Amino acid sequence: MLSMLEEVVLLAVDEKNGHLRSTREFGTAYALVGALFFDLALARKNDTDTETVHVIDTTPTGNATLDRILVEMARRAEITTVRDWIEELFLRRQDLEGEGLASLIERGVLRHEVSKLLWIIDVERFPMIDKKRQQHVKLRLAQTILSDDIPETRDIMLVSIAEPCGLLGYVLSSSELENRKPRIDMLCNLETISRTVSAAILNLDTSLRQSMTKVV
Amino acid sequence: MIQLTQETKSGWCVVGVSGRADSEAADELEGALRAALELHAKVAANLAALEYISSAGLRAVIQAARAAQAKNAEFAVCSLSAAVQRVFDMSGMHHIMRIHGELPC
Repeated sequence: MLSMLEEVVLLAVDEKNGHLRSTREFGTAYALVGALFFDLALARKNDTDTETVHVIDTTPTGNATLDRILVEMARRAEITTVRDWIEELFLRRQDLEGEGLASLIERGVLRHEVSKLLWIIDVERFPMIDKKRQQHVKLRLAQTILSDDIPETRDIMLVSIAEPCGLLGYVLSSSELENRKPRIDMLCNLETISRTVSAAILNLDTSLRQSMTKVV
Repeated sequence: MIQLTQETKSGWCVVGVSGRADSEAADELEGALRAALELHAKVAANLAALEYISSAGLRAVIQAARAAQAKNAEFAVCSLSAAVQRVFDMSGMHHIMRIHGELPC
């Protein structure tokens, strides 16, 4: 089974040409940190309430990215809120998208190609070896959003991370997304981690807009 | 620690939940609610004595509600303490399950 981080990164790969759809914007970076927290929650390594996050088990998961974060969380006991941890990992983030891609390559889902643009600039592509993996993730997202049934935990988490990454537009049409916006908002609100990710992105957008206004 | 009880009242199976519903207790809570749903068409989780619920605890309740939906059973959570009510309100749990001020039976 793919991790939440791998599933979100896989969604960002264009199935036709292997190009990355994500632009590595700040919103995506926050959402990928959220995906890590969900992976740790699914592995029963952390738990959250409305504000705080606690490490409950420090034994390694076997996933290098998750274990690095787990060690860091256990070491920094002074950081207790979900908000502060998301900001901390966002500021000191390594290339989570790159780690997700590397893991997908290692699992045989993607391969890595580098070509030259104008003989100078390296252009990376990640063509799919196994297209079924991405199709499965898209199908789960579509079913979770279009149905009125109560979803599985993993699918609630997936929707609430794919939404702030702007990846749902590659799964459903704009009219479907508009019609199902109340459902998407409801799913995104269920988890503390996704509520905190959304608030962090909103804060960042507001700060950027304010600084742009000052410059103008 | 979580404590779970079960009684039948006016056609409802009432699962009493007290203590803390956190990651340590989540499996036990979900298991108790699912087991009740296996045997009864109407299940109420009485959360009057529940002091704390974490995200793992909420997920357990959501997955129990999912199991109830899958078998067309009635499922409700009831008598939430102020602290637990706040968590349910923040998460919008009323959108996916019936929440009662008192037991439905």
